[in-house]
Amino acid sequence: MQYIKTLRQYGIFVVFIIISLILSFISPQFLTVSNWTIIITQASINALLAFGVTFVIITGGIDLSLGSMVAVTGVTAAMLAHPDTFPVVLPIFAGLLTGLLMGIFNGFIITKSKIAPFIVTLGTMTIGRGLALIMSKGRPISNLSDSFNFIGGGDVFGIPFPIIVLAIIFTICSITLKKTLLGRYIYAVGGNEQAARASGINVNQVKMAVYSISGLLAGLAGVLLTSRITTGQPNAGAGFELDAIAAAVIGGTSTSGGTGTITGTLVGVLLIGVINNGLDLLNVSSYYQQVVMGAIIIGAVVLDSWNQKSNS
Amino acid sequence: MPSNSQNILQVQNLSKSFLGVKALDNIQFDLQKGEIHALMGENGAGKSTFMKILMGLLKPDSGEIIFEGEVLKSNNVHENLQKGISMIHQEILVVPELTVAQNIFLGRETNYRSWLNDKAINQKAQEILDAIGIKINAQTKIKNLSIAEMQMVEIAKAISNNAKVIIMDEPTSALTDNEVAMLFKIIKDLKAKGVAIIYISHKMDEIYEITDKITVLRDGQYIATKNTNELDKNALIALMVGRQINDLRAAFRFLENNSIKGESILSVQNLNKKGKFKDINFEVHAGEVLGIAGLMGAGRTEIARAIFGLDKYDSGEIIIKGNKVEIKSPEDAIKNGIGYVSEDRKALGFIPALSIKENISLSSLGNFAKTWFVNASNEHEAATRLSTDLKIKSTSINQKVMTLSGGNQQKVVIGKVLLTAPSLVILDEPTRGIDIGAKFEIYKLINQLTDKGIAVIMISSELPEILGMSDRIMVLSKGKQTALLSKQEATQEKIMQYAVE
Amino acid sequence: MKHLYSILILSVFLFASCNQSKKVENSGEKKIKVGVTLLSMQNEFIVNISDEMNKKAEELGVELISVDAEHQPLKQIEQVESFIAQKVDVIIMNPCEVEASSPAVTKALAAKIPIINVNSATSTKPTAFVGSNDVESARIAMKFIADQLGGKGNVVMIHGLMGQAAQIQREQGAKEILKDYPELKLLAHQTGEWDRAKSMDLMQNWIQSYGTKINAVFAQNDEMGLGALKALQDAGLKDKVIVVSIDAIADALQAVKKGSLDATVFQNAKQQGAGAIETAVKIAKGQPYEKELMIPFQLVTKDNVGQFLKK
Repeated sequence: MQYIKTLRQYGIFVVFIIISLILSFISPQFLTVSNWTIIITQASINALLAFGVTFVIITGGIDLSLGSMVAVTGVTAAMLAHPDTFPVVLPIFAGLLTGLLMGIFNGFIITKSKIAPFIVTLGTMTIGRGLALIMSKGRPISNLSDSFNFIGGGDVFGIPFPIIVLAIIFTICSITLKKTLLGRYIYAVGGNEQAARASGINVNQVKMAVYSISGLLAGLAGVLLTSRITTGQPNAGAGFELDAIAAAVIGGTSTSGGTGTITGTLVGVLLIGVINNGLDLLNVSSYYQQVVMGAIIIGAVVLDSWNQKSNS
Repeated sequence: MPSNSQNILQVQNLSKSFLGVKALDNIQFDLQKGEIHALMGENGAGKSTFMKILMGLLKPDSGEIIFEGEVLKSNNVHENLQKGISMIHQEILVVPELTVAQNIFLGRETNYRSWLNDKAINQKAQEILDAIGIKINAQTKIKNLSIAEMQMVEIAKAISNNAKVIIMDEPTSALTDNEVAMLFKIIKDLKAKGVAIIYISHKMDEIYEITDKITVLRDGQYIATKNTNELDKNALIALMVGRQINDLRAAFRFLENNSIKGESILSVQNLNKKGKFKDINFEVHAGEVLGIAGLMGAGRTEIARAIFGLDKYDSGEIIIKGNKVEIKSPEDAIKNGIGYVSEDRKALGFIPALSIKENISLSSLGNFAKTWFVNASNEHEAATRLSTDLKIKSTSINQKVMTLSGGNQQKVVIGKVLLTAPSLVILDEPTRGIDIGAKFEIYKLINQLTDKGIAVIMISSELPEILGMSDRIMVLSKGKQTALLSKQEATQEKIMQYAVE
Repeated sequence: MKHLYSILILSVFLFASCNQSKKVENSGEKKIKVGVTLLSMQNEFIVNISDEMNKKAEELGVELISVDAEHQPLKQIEQVESFIAQKVDVIIMNPCEVEASSPAVTKALAAKIPIINVNSATSTKPTAFVGSNDVESARIAMKFIADQLGGKGNVVMIHGLMGQAAQIQREQGAKEILKDYPELKLLAHQTGEWDRAKSMDLMQNWIQSYGTKINAVFAQNDEMGLGALKALQDAGLKDKVIVVSIDAIADALQAVKKGSLDATVFQNAKQQGAGAIETAVKIAKGQPYEKELMIPFQLVTKDNVGQFLKK
């Protein structure tokens, strides 16, 4: 059984390799270091969101408020990031904290009210968008300090900073899911919530944790995005949650909960990134891009359900 | 081909493997009209796979099924149903929100006109129910029925299908004695009408009471077919487990519990939960087995759930080792040294997608962790130890629990509870649906626990088991505690008397 | 008892408000009531129009009811229906869609309430139109590019959300100019969905595939222009590529002033907002008004950016 699980991850990995190979044949610019640097940099924001939502989906939940959280946290950070006001740590910290608080709010409502996460986070999504518009008065917040703009635009030894952030967060999330108590409990709650409770796991605490993680990572994504485009946009991040969920599902996270890995999600994120990049390089019309992306998502889910059948 | 014209079903050289593991190897099976044929075997012997193939849920790798002289080729449940093969499942597959009649004709509504016609369906359903002597109104919603009644509905459904072969998988596991008697009467009526029945059960006395023939499978292989009256219990058990086991009574004697009662581990005082149980008082000591007997719905499981923190109770006190404790969740219960093995393995026992190791360590993972991180080697070691102690059959402890047989899943759940080092273990129907070999292993295990000074509460519907294992027996009836009997005074008759009081 | 109280309070309140409206009428100056429905208050340019409307309305003593259609034509129609029910004197609509918002115009006219389209058009003719011709803005931008490149070179174009009136018209304007300059080649065009981050990603990908072949970028709004600009700056290519966009939002004016954005096209939100209110007042008072009040566009470059920054 173990090998089926790995095969499934390889399955999407194989798709990823094949698509990359095809693109490198068609477009000579595709397989270059500079292009891959761009692909990974562009994918980094979606990756952060997708990692967060992977935790949530494994517990059997969903987080639709990711995009709005990106906007709120981005605007919060931007408001504090004007040159010669506060040290750069403050806007970053404020962005992360805002995300964390929104995540805690999601978790609190979900565990206390027993309302479906779909509904709760749908509410937070709307609230968040409104807050971002209120805070920014509907206008983008620009004129940010250079040190703040470094987070999304700068590089260290030639490696763009977002890639470094991505690598660190990937490692932390991977280890959390694989090696820690919390990680095991997340799988247990998603695999069979009742049995997890009967095994002495505090299910509510686990749920609080995953929504908080999701919020915190959305905060980080918000800060990164704001810094990358050097402005805090109240309407940034619209629809980001769907890309993140798609990446997790493509990467083998089952929407019924209990299974999924961070590595799989990363492959999902990169696959989406590669397709976006490749189709742009080939100057394929945006209309077709949407069709291709949709087909890949459905393909991944079908693959997933086949594997579940063959498991049982 | 048909050697015997009376044979309604003939199975020849049937084989099936999953991922290279043979689940069925060359199975032979003949079934005659009007015959009640027991299919016996330990869990994992291949009974479920065999039945799934007969139902058309699975496709065999090789071999033939001949039904009424024709080779049955389809692997389509609906088609097999129409030809006359029905199954009464162990887990009842009814739709709770629909009525009895709607369930009986589910998926076949259009046979009675092209529009949904509840009136015709109700009438037809009621006729069938009356014909088999079941007193259920066809317009009642399923969710308002008892499990036994739901089972009767399933039988009615099979009859409405003009079933010629009915497969019954552990049909009595949730029934009271009265209900079992009623079921047997229905089965005998069906037999008289020429319906053939494949009867799967672990309960010896039922097999001997009702079946004509017994076919034994072991490890996916066909072992033997004998007339029931020519095969005694010991011989049957020997065929099933492939080794000689003395009869039940001898085994209990061998297992005679010699441990000495110790301090009071758990004391329950005036425990109440409205509509579930009332004024429950008992005490369990270290090294003692307290049996809880009673009919279905007497409140046995509800008391266990309340003590373990799964449900809230209204009033009363729970005292552990002399200290009054408040248990609000299973987490609290485990911290207080209580372990619970639920009757409902699938819902409350294990996480199907996690491995044996991950399930066993789940309740005590904190003990294998440094701050936040799981210590993989400690965990592996402990899980391996328990898996070996409990003789869990698997390819490795990394095998997912959903791929194990029922008995082995139960052992995983027990392993998980034992790893928390409990001072009290509550076993709720620990041997339900598992085979004789595994049952004895669980009895032995209970004695090992009491030898170590662990207190055990055992809830069971099987009276011989309760009588054989318990030091004292609490009897419940309709949520009330009607007796607390010592081993010496308890008899089957007495327990039944108090249980229906 | 409780009921009695509430009835009492209610009637007192009603009486008071009746009295009040009478007073206004008596003074001979009934306040003009104008209903405004806007495409989206998440769009800075629309917010600017709205702000100007509020300012002008206060100045002229007009009562404004302002609502946000959130990009949804259906919502906009419902809002207009509610204005009709409230019997406003004039409706001002900033349409979501050329076709889909048209029924709102038909309904208002059928109810004999004048309706003014501001900023963009509908297929059904309203009582009056105040705005600018989007086709013209793109012509101005593309003409600037053509002049800078001497009529020769490779251009990439970043579209807004495909299918929206502004996108369609700005594409049309750009293509008209491209036709006049056969040596000006459109290398690639894709949508940036009016979004800065998306356009930045798109530009990065184009830089990968076309490198230094790109001579100029035309973005259909400033947000996207600034995104493309950022990508070019990061790649160290800004000196070699001309970037032009439309709208002249604050960020874009700053960028023009710094010399990083080569030009933007000023669409006068203030004049559009003020013009709409003024036209509404004229119609309400039965005075003559212009059926099509065109607010001209202006090209903003480093030379003249100062005058726009002050505004």
